[in-house]
Amino acid sequence: MDAMRTRFELLLPGEDSPRLRAAGEAALGEIVSCESRLSLFRPGSLVSRINDTAYKAAVLLDGDTFELLHICREVWAQSGGAFDITIGPLMRAWGFRSTPADPVAAGSCEWGFQHIELDERNYSVRFLKPGLSIDLGGVGKGHALDLAAAELRAAGVSRAFLHAGTSSVLAIGDGSGSEDWRIAVSPDPSSPVVKLRDFALGVSAQRGRGIDDCGVHRGHILDPRTGRPAPGIETAAVVAPSAALADAWSTAVLVCAACPARDDLTGIIDRGKTASPRWVVHGPHADRVTTRAGSAALRS
Amino acid sequence: MEPNLNLDRRSFLLSASGGLAAVAILPELGFATPAPRLADPIGVGVIGVGRHGRALLDELQKIESFKVAAVCDTEPARLSGGQRRAAGAEGFATHQEMLDKAKGVQAVVIATPTHLHKEIALDCLSAGKHVFCEAPLAATVEDCKAIAAAAAKASTIFQPGLYARSNPVYKLARTFFKSDSVLELIAMRAQDYKKQSWRFPSSDPARDNAANWRLDPAVSIGLAGELGTHQFDVFQYYTGRYAKGVRGDGSIRLHNDGRTIADTIHCDFHYADGVMLSYSASICNSYEGRYEVFHGSNAAIKLAWSHGWMFKEADSPTQGWEVYANRQQFHNDEGITLIADATKLASQGKLKEGIGLPFTPAYYALVDFAGSIADKKPPACSAAEGARASIIGILADQAVVGRKEIDITEDALKI
Repeated sequence: MDAMRTRFELLLPGEDSPRLRAAGEAALGEIVSCESRLSLFRPGSLVSRINDTAYKAAVLLDGDTFELLHICREVWAQSGGAFDITIGPLMRAWGFRSTPADPVAAGSCEWGFQHIELDERNYSVRFLKPGLSIDLGGVGKGHALDLAAAELRAAGVSRAFLHAGTSSVLAIGDGSGSEDWRIAVSPDPSSPVVKLRDFALGVSAQRGRGIDDCGVHRGHILDPRTGRPAPGIETAAVVAPSAALADAWSTAVLVCAACPARDDLTGIIDRGKTASPRWVVHGPHADRVTTRAGSAALRS
Repeated sequence: MEPNLNLDRRSFLLSASGGLAAVAILPELGFATPAPRLADPIGVGVIGVGRHGRALLDELQKIESFKVAAVCDTEPARLSGGQRRAAGAEGFATHQEMLDKAKGVQAVVIATPTHLHKEIALDCLSAGKHVFCEAPLAATVEDCKAIAAAAAKASTIFQPGLYARSNPVYKLARTFFKSDSVLELIAMRAQDYKKQSWRFPSSDPARDNAANWRLDPAVSIGLAGELGTHQFDVFQYYTGRYAKGVRGDGSIRLHNDGRTIADTIHCDFHYADGVMLSYSASICNSYEGRYEVFHGSNAAIKLAWSHGWMFKEADSPTQGWEVYANRQQFHNDEGITLIADATKLASQGKLKEGIGLPFTPAYYALVDFAGSIADKKPPACSAAEGARASIIGILADQAVVGRKEIDITEDALKI
């Protein structure tokens, strides 16, 4: 199914085809519903309403979206601002939101999660400065996978593999033959393979879309700390308990070129073809990251 | 003042078309009713927070006139999911408990299985609540009539969830239909195609039957009732007429999983003057989705929920505005896009982004509901109209199940 400008796929192994199909449809329904709330491109979405009105008055949120913003604030704070959902105006200025690039305008953009107030008691969000907007493009697909997975679990599904555009991945239970789901981080033959079971993987890469930054081709991920395209590494991946967390942290790791210092996250960094070692892995699940041949030589 | 030389010809035509269409066809009409501004929002309780109920919760929370005060569902997992969608709302296992204990509930939205609507609607009306009840209103003719009778006696608002009545695109297109744009009505056609199982998962096997009420022949009114009712109402809304009879057929074409409810159906309705309405629905294929078409001697109008088009005949008179109107190619035919608020959209340059409703049709229906409560004015669709549309759906389902022709008598539609 296509949603959030990418392709979502669910793999539900099992014998009871009608029941699994029904569970899959319910999960896809959650993804559609999530898109209708988080889309930046739909005037009637919750995110559009937040961006239009949250400076004038606090906007009440549903529990799932409030929790997502909470995760975003946590990652913003713990990464020193390397992940920031308030870079919407910057994304537009750099031409990444169906708008012509105008890097000069980026200089006058307002952003920074410190200007956003989350009210835990009323489940509401408010902008403390005019001109702010949020862009959940870096975390929305992972969030949609988390909601879809919750729907599958509620339907009694114990084995499933879900991904959004191959960059956000979530595994429920085991894959074939009681083995973990094995996911290569990138198409490169040297890419590590992550063994997933009841965990999620988020991958951020500078491949694909890009822009000309003062004569240098840069990827599409911006560094919120500087307001400019992130100059760092090519690919970063994070293994995390939830897909939203994995998505947010993979962006932060790509921007910082450093693995997260959290005991529930494992970071994987591609330092480039000429570096030795090329791939660096750090975190509690480092032993679940192997080469394609299956060796664990990638641990750092 | 220098002219704006950056305005290319296409942008000019789009702007001009929006302006002309608006002036010629939409004098002072506002097709999207704004939500009323209230000092105190209307407290609303949502009864039934399955997939559709949760979607309605999302829409209610966009409307400042409402505050979701309570949610209600007999299944604990769904209730907890509903409460997550409406932070701060009280949760109840039954509608009666909600009516007895919930604080600040002035209105209710009923989104339970169809066959459970009657008891809930009657209880809520008795308790003095304003009621928005999803369509079809009920699964039997008697229940539909009982709901309409109770709504007629109540001093509160009762609005059936027939969204076309509030949909700005449908309201706009209806003005074209009522003008000479279509002229003689030749025939009508509609379909709802979407590949889906119509099965709902449940982790508790004991609740499997309740969750899959659409597939239970004892209570289900099939595709004709559940899907068709909304579309049959479009034709009633536009023509003001009801069919005199319906012939139906259906079979299981894909979902051979033990069900007996047809997954693909066809109905032919005939009207007193010989006009026919051809309707088909399937959950085995998604091609062309859902739409309604009015074929007239001057033009056809096609409506597809968030979009509408007019296809003019070569010999139909030019009305002026359509010369510069926005157009869309459909194989060999060219459709003129019917745009609500065209002038505003053109001035914002949004005609280039594709024309569709910014909000879901449910949003506009709920805004109308809030307006009726606030201004004490009749709802966008009366209970009687909702009951008749539902009865047509029920009779169409009976025709499909029996593979026969059924008369739609005045008695059957008498409320």
